[in-house]
Amino acid sequence: MTTDEQKAIESEIYAFIGQEVYPPTPAADDINEAMIRQWAEIMGDNNPAYLDKDWAAKSIRGTTISPPAMMYVWGQEGFQVTKGRALNAMSNLVSVFDKHGYTGVLGTNVKQEYFKEVNPGDNVTIEMIIDNISERKTTGRGTGYFFETLSTFTDQRGEKVGTQRFKVLKFIPQEQPSAVATEDKLDVPTRIASPRGHDNKWWWEACDDGKVLIQRCKSCQTLRHPPRPMCGECQSMEWDSIESTLDGEILSHTEIHHPKIPGYQYPLVCAVIKLAEGTNFVANIIGCSPSEVHIGMKVKGVLEQVDEKTMLPQFYPA
Amino acid sequence: MKEYKTLTRAEVAVGDKLPNADIDITTGLVVCGALATRDFEPVHHSKAAAQAVGLPDVFMNILTSQGLMTRFATDWSGPDAVVKSVDLRLGAPNIPGMLMTVSGEVTALDKDSGLVDLAVTGENNIWGMHMQGTVQLTLPKES
Amino acid sequence: MIANVKDKAVIVGIGNTTFSKDSGVSELSLAVQAVKAAIDDAGLKPSDIDGMATFTMDNNDEIEVARALGVGELTFYGRSHYGGGAATSCLHQATMAIATGMAETVVVYRALNGRSGHRFSGGVAGDITTADAIHWGWYMPYGLLTPASWVAMFTQRWMHNTGVSKDALFEVAHSTRVYGANNPAAFFYGRNFDRAEYDAARMIADPLQLFDCCQESDGGSAVIVTTPERARDLKQPGVSVLGVAQCAADNQEQMTSFYREEFAGIPEMETAAKNVYAMSGLSVDDIDAAVIYDAFSPIVLWQLEAWGFCGYGESGDFVKDGALRTDGRLPTNTHGGQLSEAYIHGVNGIVEATRLVRGTSVNQPAKTVNHALVTSGVGIPTGGAILGKMD
Ligand SMILES: [Zn+2]
Repeated sequence: MTTDEQKAIESEIYAFIGQEVYPPTPAADDINEAMIRQWAEIMGDNNPAYLDKDWAAKSIRGTTISPPAMMYVWGQEGFQVTKGRALNAMSNLVSVFDKHGYTGVLGTNVKQEYFKEVNPGDNVTIEMIIDNISERKTTGRGTGYFFETLSTFTDQRGEKVGTQRFKVLKFIPQEQPSAVATEDKLDVPTRIASPRGHDNKWWWEACDDGKVLIQRCKSCQTLRHPPRPMCGECQSMEWDSIESTLDGEILSHTEIHHPKIPGYQYPLVCAVIKLAEGTNFVANIIGCSPSEVHIGMKVKGVLEQVDEKTMLPQFYPA
Repeated sequence: MKEYKTLTRAEVAVGDKLPNADIDITTGLVVCGALATRDFEPVHHSKAAAQAVGLPDVFMNILTSQGLMTRFATDWSGPDAVVKSVDLRLGAPNIPGMLMTVSGEVTALDKDSGLVDLAVTGENNIWGMHMQGTVQLTLPKES
Repeated sequence: MIANVKDKAVIVGIGNTTFSKDSGVSELSLAVQAVKAAIDDAGLKPSDIDGMATFTMDNNDEIEVARALGVGELTFYGRSHYGGGAATSCLHQATMAIATGMAETVVVYRALNGRSGHRFSGGVAGDITTADAIHWGWYMPYGLLTPASWVAMFTQRWMHNTGVSKDALFEVAHSTRVYGANNPAAFFYGRNFDRAEYDAARMIADPLQLFDCCQESDGGSAVIVTTPERARDLKQPGVSVLGVAQCAADNQEQMTSFYREEFAGIPEMETAAKNVYAMSGLSVDDIDAAVIYDAFSPIVLWQLEAWGFCGYGESGDFVKDGALRTDGRLPTNTHGGQLSEAYIHGVNGIVEATRLVRGTSVNQPAKTVNHALVTSGVGIPTGGAILGKMD
């Protein structure tokens, strides 16, 4: 069924098929070693075909080449894009989508084909068109259309270097996140929470409410942490709790370097702290450089909201 | 001069696994990768801009993913291989703090032309598939 | 009371699969390959097996292994808990079953896709549904999530208490990797390794760097244990269990016994050592070589102290002149250990300790090995065993 809404948008967007985004434009810089070196260093790419002239001279090519994946790089617009891009067919197409409520955007596929290798000193010209726009699709992200740009790259002799096809989904964002496909989950990561069961739930709930408690045996007054259902001293199952002052001293510490887990802030120092009440407690040390943390250091804890979902005692140098 | 080995078409078979590569996604890699590929979209260097589009931090640009994918392929093949195409499907963003593991396998080989298809996947340890696709390259007859 | 197990159980077969980073096969396939290799080594048939012992962490049910191999009837199956702490506990189970007549021939096995499948280095994050979920919950929100980070916390305090330096950690990492470089089955086979590479490696959780940490491996290991009577008729020289013990000490937690008055110690291993010595009638001076569980380099040092090779805090001095090397006082982890052969949760260590007594290690010391020590992982409930030539 084609609704009026669908007719309206389709009559506008399909007119863009075949329109030019960039007319043939030579790159501002010829292919050069400086940009290749920067690219290769950052990618961690030690391929000698890119920069080792002695090796390349004796290789089957006889000369160094530009990394193929840099094909699109040479013609990129510069830093001025941070202040906005010039209007062209693609930005106009995007505006049409946005106007009709298809405000979501997601790059889904990119394919580069390389027909010849190019070398330092060559110059790459890019030309881009809107090559096709799909029919209306229902996706995990929402209803929308895929449009595909086709970039064609030629060298200074007019020989075809390669092409790039880039497919983008413009869609009406869904309101119910439950329908979002796994790979599209975009939740802001938070710290991994403790599971809450009978024996520890009360402790974490107090923490959420701004108190760090220590479990205490009602019968013999022995403090225990982490909480457990029975007193190991007198076997009583009756207990209450006291609030910790969060004064403590570091018994040991380690800075976590690897692996780094999203949701945590690095540098990340964990420590075993002896609280003034006498029980040991594990937490983070913040408010100083990791190199300043040492065994015997006096620390003071403060309950803090460390991310959207998590309240935790954080310890600072006292 | 340092020697570099390039695999020949005789040394490769369909089903061969490429050695995995673990890539730490750091703010440095994301921001500098965007710079090296002249991609100055603010979402790749400004945390505020990235958060404005609903992500927790700056995220890797596509041209860096393409670069890492070709590097992964030519690290395996050696420098005389000629890259013919990189076709990738984009998945979850790469965000600083994640670890991306890239794996690959030979899925097709034409012994006459030396054209090899590599199925390559980059998965990060939090959100899963970041990029998945095919790198095609040609291998020499003999080294 | 001293347990009466000396010479009641004998290791007669050993088997390892190929060790790799990506086996490409199921864990069950690795398990049956390892068990079959051990059965073949012993000169037995699958139907001779009537008991099995493995880890609670192992994903291969005894009945699946039995069915795949064609074992038939089992009259004993027992599992041991606490990760690598189960390594010699499985041998402990097998020994008890054989000594009491519950079974005649027991296979101990462990098989895992520890690199291509679930990686322990990823830590305990995620939807844990096990009974100890709440235990890990005291550390997860702070990012203290991985075995390396828990051991690092312990190591930092131990180094502070004792003054032992990273020179000692390096000596463990280095001596083990020299062995591994000479073992074709080892991940480190043919590799050079020196102090510069050790020092330059990435920090994992200070003070532990990359080369203080074990491999993550895909593979399987198995040993066959039977009665002395049966052992005498088999093709390999029997390697007798002279003593074997397990222990969980006071105020024990898994990897994080941070609530002890002094947590930089392993009292559970001291108790296990005392009991193993008593069962075997041997002392520390009788131990000729060892396979000491090495998930991380410092834990080898603590165990040297717990087994009495030196006093608390003296292991740095003990190892510094090459005690762990092939011509040293205590050639240790001659297969390359889990630091450089493969991480099969210590069962590849039982295989190697058996080889040391047989005289067939790829790095066999020149001296006669009458008694070899083999241990389980520490920081958790643990244990160990002394193996010797069958009379
Ligand atoms: Zn009490």
